[in-house]
Amino acid sequence: MKQIPKYFPLIPVFAAYAIMFLVAENMEGMWQLMSMLLFYCALGQAFNVFMGMTGYVDFGYVAFLGVGTYGMALSITRLVQYEFLGAWIIVIGFGLAMVMSTLLSMAVGAVALRLRGAYFAIATIGVNEGFRFLIEGARIWNGSEGMIFTADLNKVLGRDTAAALCTYWADIMVLVIAALAAFVTLVYMRSKIGYALTALREDEDAAKVMGINVTKYKIIAFITSACFAGLLGATAWALKTPYVFPPEVFEIHYTIEAIIIVMLGGAGTLLGPVVGGLVYGISKYYLSIFLPGFQLLIFAPVILVIIVLFPEGIVGMMKAKTKGTGMARFIV
Amino acid sequence: MFFEQLGGNLIQGVVLGAVYGMATMGLSLIFGVLKVVNVGHGAFIMVGAFVTLFLFSSLGISPIIAIPVAFMVGMGLGFIFYYTTIRKLIKAPELATLLATFSIGVLLEELIKLIFGSEFRGYNWAVGKIDLGITVLPMSKLYACIGSILIAVLLFLWFKKTRAGSAVRSVVEDSEGARVCGINVGGAYALSFSLGIGLTVASGVLLTMFIPVGINPYMGGGYTLKAFVIAVLGGLSSPYGAFFGGLVFGLIENGSYTLFAYIPGVEPFALTRFLSFVILLVILLIRPTGILSAK
Repeated sequence: MKQIPKYFPLIPVFAAYAIMFLVAENMEGMWQLMSMLLFYCALGQAFNVFMGMTGYVDFGYVAFLGVGTYGMALSITRLVQYEFLGAWIIVIGFGLAMVMSTLLSMAVGAVALRLRGAYFAIATIGVNEGFRFLIEGARIWNGSEGMIFTADLNKVLGRDTAAALCTYWADIMVLVIAALAAFVTLVYMRSKIGYALTALREDEDAAKVMGINVTKYKIIAFITSACFAGLLGATAWALKTPYVFPPEVFEIHYTIEAIIIVMLGGAGTLLGPVVGGLVYGISKYYLSIFLPGFQLLIFAPVILVIIVLFPEGIVGMMKAKTKGTGMARFIV
Repeated sequence: MFFEQLGGNLIQGVVLGAVYGMATMGLSLIFGVLKVVNVGHGAFIMVGAFVTLFLFSSLGISPIIAIPVAFMVGMGLGFIFYYTTIRKLIKAPELATLLATFSIGVLLEELIKLIFGSEFRGYNWAVGKIDLGITVLPMSKLYACIGSILIAVLLFLWFKKTRAGSAVRSVVEDSEGARVCGINVGGAYALSFSLGIGLTVASGVLLTMFIPVGINPYMGGGYTLKAFVIAVLGGLSSPYGAFFGGLVFGLIENGSYTLFAYIPGVEPFALTRFLSFVILLVILLIRPTGILSAK
């Protein structure tokens, strides 16, 4: 009996995803919007595992998505010649995306996670720039020319299956990743990791004195978050648009988007990234229709207002409002 | 041949390095006094570049005059952002000020894009050049270098000789103690923040003398990273450390460019930017305690 209430907070999150899926399936012309919203929710969920729980801001987060994109791209372009592998190269691509984002997160984490606050931010702000210029400068993985693998994908899967993968199954995989990230977040929150990270977020020195191995838990959260980013890059970028160019996949604006989503919804909450992703995605979508090119101009002051006036985010405020009522079980 | 090339590039490196140093002093000043990392640093440099471009292209005013104009613009922006956001976040967790300065940077970029458009622009300030034998140095770059050194000296004198300067120094030493002694700590914060932003915007003017056609709203990103590397080289909280860090960085950047250009099959420019990232991580790795204790 005790196990059931533990996972109650997943109900609103999964309900939101289910509604998005049903709307996309059944309403004409909604698929594109819903797939974008799903991507933002998933991005927020994945980013929240680290930023929300630890309070550290990783300004180089998009590098993990970029590396995941490269993982999938490399698998498809380099393995396409081995015909016996068939569609397995997609599976291998996911594996490679995870391995590569894990390795990068370990490398970055080994240096950056020794640092705190401002120093951590400074170390990570260069990560995506550094990685992008390594790819371009040393001309590895086709350098600045990038990779286009539409033809390879068609060759392996056939034109129809490849098209279905790009337009339908990639979005379904994003949905699965988003749900998985939410589940893992809750598992972490309800385990030793979550308590350790909460202690760390409140006061790192005190947590250390209490005998908590903060480094260990920080690394776990960092790698988990990076892994989800890698998977997301492999699906939402590599499979949906079968090409990869360094300046595009290491574009810092995606990191800002992740930060906005998490802050808007409420850092360190389970429901926050979903609410943030929906609010941000919907407003971005309609702004791009009514005021194209002005999204960032509007969002930048919005973040400032949130930081100054509502540092807890939407879900943080909801949590405070529903405290003590029956709703509190669902909002975490 | 190689050594001539290296020597020429190193001379260019020193000249550029002085400007880099000047461009980082504002960042270090703000961190030193307020413990705020200005993640939107590059955007303020970009504003300075646009001030220069506007004055020169539209009004025909020399970039020399643009330096004080940009400084005043920067001071103004500094006061606005200090009193609207930064002041409310001084006591908040670091996360808040990082995100706030980041958003301020984005806001500036988007505003400038709205006014001037997003295409690359430049201007041509032809004031002759001098031939040093191994390299040719445009006079505009030399003026930028001299200007940087002058501004660094002026800042030094301001700190040492004026009441406001010593008030800021005492706040850095011990903000509680300064408050007890009757120093307006809030005022010192506001002044340091705006001074830092003023210096940064002014440095944007000097940097345009090195990038004749590279002015656009998003040019700042690369400078933010460079400024962090330089600031960390110089110890992050000292404006003078930043100045010397800039000189060292200019030498490393131009020297390594010469070396990378000899490796076949690589893009030397991209690699120098990768190298600056590696330097950043290495310094943070080998001296994290040293740098942290400077806090």
